[in-house]
Amino acid sequence: MIELRNINFRYVKGTEVGGLMDIDLTIPDGQVILLCGQSGCGKTTLTRLVNGLIPHYYEGELRGEVLVDGKNIRELPLYETAKYVGSVFQNPRTQFFTVDSTSELAFGCENQGLPEEEIIERVKATTRQFGMGNLMGKNIFSLSGGEKQKIACASVSVSDPSIIVMDEPSSNLDVSATKDLRRMLRIWKQQGKTVIIAEHRLYYLKELIDRVVYLKDGKIEKDYPAIEALQLSAAQQAEMGLRPFELNMFPVTARPAAGSGFIECENFHFAYPKQKDALTIDRLSLPQTGIIAVIGHNGAGKSTLARCLCGLEKHCKGIVKVDGKPYNRKQRLSLCYMVMQDVNHQLFTESTEEELLISMEQPAPDKAAAVLERLDLLPFRERHPMALSGGQKQRVAIAAALVSGRKILVFDEPTSGLDLQHMKEVADELAAIQEMGKTSLVITHDYELIVSCCTHVLHLEQGTVQEQYALDTEGLGRLKDFFIESR
Amino acid sequence: MDAAPVELKFENKAVIPTDPRTKLFLTVTVSTIMITGGTGGFMNLIRPCLMACPIAFLLLSRRWTAAARFAVTYAVLFVLELTVLPLLTGIWNFILGAAVGIYTHMLPGFIMGYYLVSTTTVSEFVAAMERMHVPQKIVIPVSVVFRFFPTVKEEYAAIRDAMKMRGITTFRSPMKMLEYRVVPLMVSVAKIGEELSAAALTRGLGAPGKRTNICNIGFGPLDIFFFLMAIPCWYGFFI
Repeated sequence: MIELRNINFRYVKGTEVGGLMDIDLTIPDGQVILLCGQSGCGKTTLTRLVNGLIPHYYEGELRGEVLVDGKNIRELPLYETAKYVGSVFQNPRTQFFTVDSTSELAFGCENQGLPEEEIIERVKATTRQFGMGNLMGKNIFSLSGGEKQKIACASVSVSDPSIIVMDEPSSNLDVSATKDLRRMLRIWKQQGKTVIIAEHRLYYLKELIDRVVYLKDGKIEKDYPAIEALQLSAAQQAEMGLRPFELNMFPVTARPAAGSGFIECENFHFAYPKQKDALTIDRLSLPQTGIIAVIGHNGAGKSTLARCLCGLEKHCKGIVKVDGKPYNRKQRLSLCYMVMQDVNHQLFTESTEEELLISMEQPAPDKAAAVLERLDLLPFRERHPMALSGGQKQRVAIAAALVSGRKILVFDEPTSGLDLQHMKEVADELAAIQEMGKTSLVITHDYELIVSCCTHVLHLEQGTVQEQYALDTEGLGRLKDFFIESR
Repeated sequence: MDAAPVELKFENKAVIPTDPRTKLFLTVTVSTIMITGGTGGFMNLIRPCLMACPIAFLLLSRRWTAAARFAVTYAVLFVLELTVLPLLTGIWNFILGAAVGIYTHMLPGFIMGYYLVSTTTVSEFVAAMERMHVPQKIVIPVSVVFRFFPTVKEEYAAIRDAMKMRGITTFRSPMKMLEYRVVPLMVSVAKIGEELSAAALTRGLGAPGKRTNICNIGFGPLDIFFFLMAIPCWYGFFI
């Protein structure tokens, strides 16, 4: 049993976000509990209280008591808490410590000093249970995000804690990886483990959760049994700032059709060294001024297509024709622009304005100011880009692309880990870019984003175009087939 | 002690695995002797011998072309060093001398270091350090550094791509370029480090008491061979 008694918490480092106020919560053994609410509502903070990272790793002002099976977390060192509480985090790239998957599974038990034979037995059992023999003995750096997350879950399972805490585990996962995650959750539920999940995407959890706690501004606003929470109407969920439990219920926004022009892509072939072809597309027409969602399973070639399109892959000989003018690889480096999933990689300068100016052939401060205004960034023109929020950083990257006159913008998972509100902001930005006459390609597995703004869908599988359609009534049906029925 | 995880698969990077301790010892041997050791006399025998180490390791990790290219270039330069170099004077001596110096003296050590880092998993490395009775206070930070090599590589590649797309190239101003590369790298590496430590702590890293390890490292015939080869080299180096 987990008891949180009269918890008040504030992070030390200046920010008011993510603190908690007057939290009283008792979680009985074996319950699967969902913590939801908008970004900054304190749900991540709550998970950190249970796994002991607060107060032992993240500093802050903590009042109240957290008891796990009657033991006070504050007095328990982290390596003791680790025996009772396992954690899975949001970012698959930063939660494995060893480099190979087999050692990673054993890592927790090795730290506890369990005998080797027992660890080996446990690793084998978990591998069988989760059906992941194919992932063993691999370099984790070479695995996909979904596979990494599977390793993270399995390594928690090997240590066999009675409580599992998950902080937005599905943020970076595609449809099938999310399905795998749900399967693992089901196994844990059957084993009678207590599972605490803080999450934005809710649809994959609806059959698993027993209880829903809705947080707002650091307080517990609502505490429902799952049955009641699932009956909330679409409008109520939207008002609470929650993504839907039922994807089908999410309102579809009709987008104005794109212009009549087309961008022609020819001869897009690419293979990574010593692997089979990652991309084999002879011909592809993309509607100009469209917002094109690029969907497909892992390894379908979405990122490869994006990289080839942006001219980042030297060995791709593809040609892109815009308004009849052909662009080769090098020319595309200044025709297309990719907004990366981790925007930190593409902000270099000391101020937002300078970021735009270095992107221009001839620095023109008034043009830069106009674009900043358009993207609500004008008040931050003097600020250091790294000091901005995630959404603002993303907009700075977009602004840099716009001032340099790019015609095609590629977005790599722009909404992973975002709540409803922030997802809608991204949708609005995409719409604004469309109005400026640009073409956007959005690699995404966010159904809610697609129906909020996209005009077309490009579905890739195994390096080829499986289907391509406009998001009209018929197209919407096909999209739902991919996201909903295929579950 | 050596529980044999027969059915448990580990990542297999080399044709015949060598013990991390052997790799570490050879890296130190090769780089020390190659860089600080002189030329001529006894060293003309030791140098090609030590040179065989990086080539052997490149072959062991299935990098056939790299091994062949390296072997041929080294042979040519080594012969040049012995025959042509003493005859040259002035600028030509300097140029050839520098090329020979970098290639035959420094590169072997780099290759050994690269091989050590790229074919040793963090667990193997930790296991090796523990067998050598290195205290945990040193093992943990060093293993974190080990874990960070591939991370930095990944992050660096992403930043390079981002700069390419922005049309920021080295021509403009080299100092700015360095800043543009290093600042985002520092920011993301710091963030990764923070998340990584949090994850490692929730899994009990740093617990007092003896850690166990399921990695099966140990010396084989190949390790013994390398050790036997390295000892006379050190002997020659010191006299």
